[in-house]
Amino acid sequence: MSTTHVQTTTHGVRRWAGLAVSLGVLVAVWWLVAAADLVEPGYLTPTPKEVWDAFVRANTYHPIGGGVDRVVRGEEHYFLWEHLLVSLRRIGLGLLLGAAVGVPLGLVMGTVRWVGDLVGPYVDFLRSLPPLAYIGFLVAWFGIYDTSKVWLLVLAAFPPITLATINGVRGVREDQLNAARSLGASGLQLTTQVVLPAALPDILSGLRVAVGFAWTTVVAAELVNGLPGIGGLAYLSGTQNKIALSVACILVIGLTAIALDAVIRTIERLVVPWRGKA
Amino acid sequence: MSKGINVAGLAHQFRARGGAVPALDRIDLEIEPGELVTLAGPSGCGKTTLLRMIAGFVAPSQGSIVVGGTPVRGPGPDRGVVFQQPTLYPWLDVRRNVALGPRLRGIGKAERLGIADRYLALVGLADAADRRPYELSGGMQQRAQIARVLAGDPEVVLMDEPYGALDALTRERLQNELLTLWRETGKTILFITHSVDEAVFLGSRVLVMSPRPGRIVLDEQVPFSSDASLAPDEVRALPAFAETTARVRVAIAH
Repeated sequence: MSTTHVQTTTHGVRRWAGLAVSLGVLVAVWWLVAAADLVEPGYLTPTPKEVWDAFVRANTYHPIGGGVDRVVRGEEHYFLWEHLLVSLRRIGLGLLLGAAVGVPLGLVMGTVRWVGDLVGPYVDFLRSLPPLAYIGFLVAWFGIYDTSKVWLLVLAAFPPITLATINGVRGVREDQLNAARSLGASGLQLTTQVVLPAALPDILSGLRVAVGFAWTTVVAAELVNGLPGIGGLAYLSGTQNKIALSVACILVIGLTAIALDAVIRTIERLVVPWRGKA
Repeated sequence: MSKGINVAGLAHQFRARGGAVPALDRIDLEIEPGELVTLAGPSGCGKTTLLRMIAGFVAPSQGSIVVGGTPVRGPGPDRGVVFQQPTLYPWLDVRRNVALGPRLRGIGKAERLGIADRYLALVGLADAADRRPYELSGGMQQRAQIARVLAGDPEVVLMDEPYGALDALTRERLQNELLTLWRETGKTILFITHSVDEAVFLGSRVLVMSPRPGRIVLDEQVPFSSDASLAPDEVRALPAFAETTARVRVAIAH
């Protein structure tokens, strides 16, 4: 027991050391390529330092430059972390509504055969559509502001949650249901006390898929009237040749996605500690 | 209060490709309140099917099942079931698993946890109450499952080869414990097993079922389990015990 623990710790240390080394090499190579001015014009290859400066500028009040004596707030009137927060808020709202639709729908579809047969093809249809295919339609219906973006995220997020819930419901062992029935469980009690908790590991897996899906979708959705928003800022800065800022946004988007996934995996460990053990 | 089980004219066929396969054939069975009936038979003889029908999980093709004067129409808390694979819920700790029956009946939290602790103490699991089921050994899981069924206060207890997957030592210990529980609670128990020794050791009455289609070919009162003055090891060493197991083996072989 203790041996395995030591081995795991050693493995962990080695993994982090490996990551640190590879990161160092990556930044060094990046810096060399940028400093060598291999690509013309030079602003296309910002150095790590220039990206860092752009990141700092985007999070502070700074002079507008070019001889004009004016101070501006971050980028496009918002700090970069505010752009990020707006995007995260859209994702959070979309996921929350998506789960509020997806989990009950999945429970019913998984429990009542004919509902599953009837609704299943529509969920599959929606799931196979790239969300960008219907963003124009949603803008026409709900306007160019946040409503259409949140709708887009709900539509992108709920199919994976629904399908994972169905999977979880159908995976409940027959005798786990029979045991509760023999203890006097009613139909509703069976659903809330056995089916839902038994499906929880699958529901959380579905949520993880949905978060990834929503994150890609929100950045794309912000191509249209996406400010404030981290995806909108990444796009706009690119079109304005502010490559350093654009790279800073990309790094923030990627790192946030990794952090989000880590958060959900931690929640999984806390909420379903029995996963893989029973 | 214990109740009896009355099975009359029971027959069952499984639907399969190429027609119906007979599984059970004309079973008539009267189990008195407080009896510990063991049912032995080769695997595939339909003994588990009979138990699942009494539990209400499967509807029989023909015949009737009455428990305590009420016809069986589906699963219910009057018939507790101990499964071969423990069906404890991993999202609940052991105490809350055992408290599930009272909880489903709407009994308040303090009272139902008290009930759970009482039955956990009865099966010798008081120390494991705060653990999760997957942290217990197979034998402890079966004890917890038995405690959960008893906490549901059923009128009859149906046990489906509950010790089949356990090692021999654990198995003997749990058999001894079951006899103690039976004498203390006076529950009606139907216990299914493929072990002849287990059937003769536990049963106040032993039934033997023939291979498919299942039929009861031996029905005999057995004195050993009712006699609390005999130590378990003494029972297993009695010449009469060996004679009875030999008779049961012959019945199974035919």
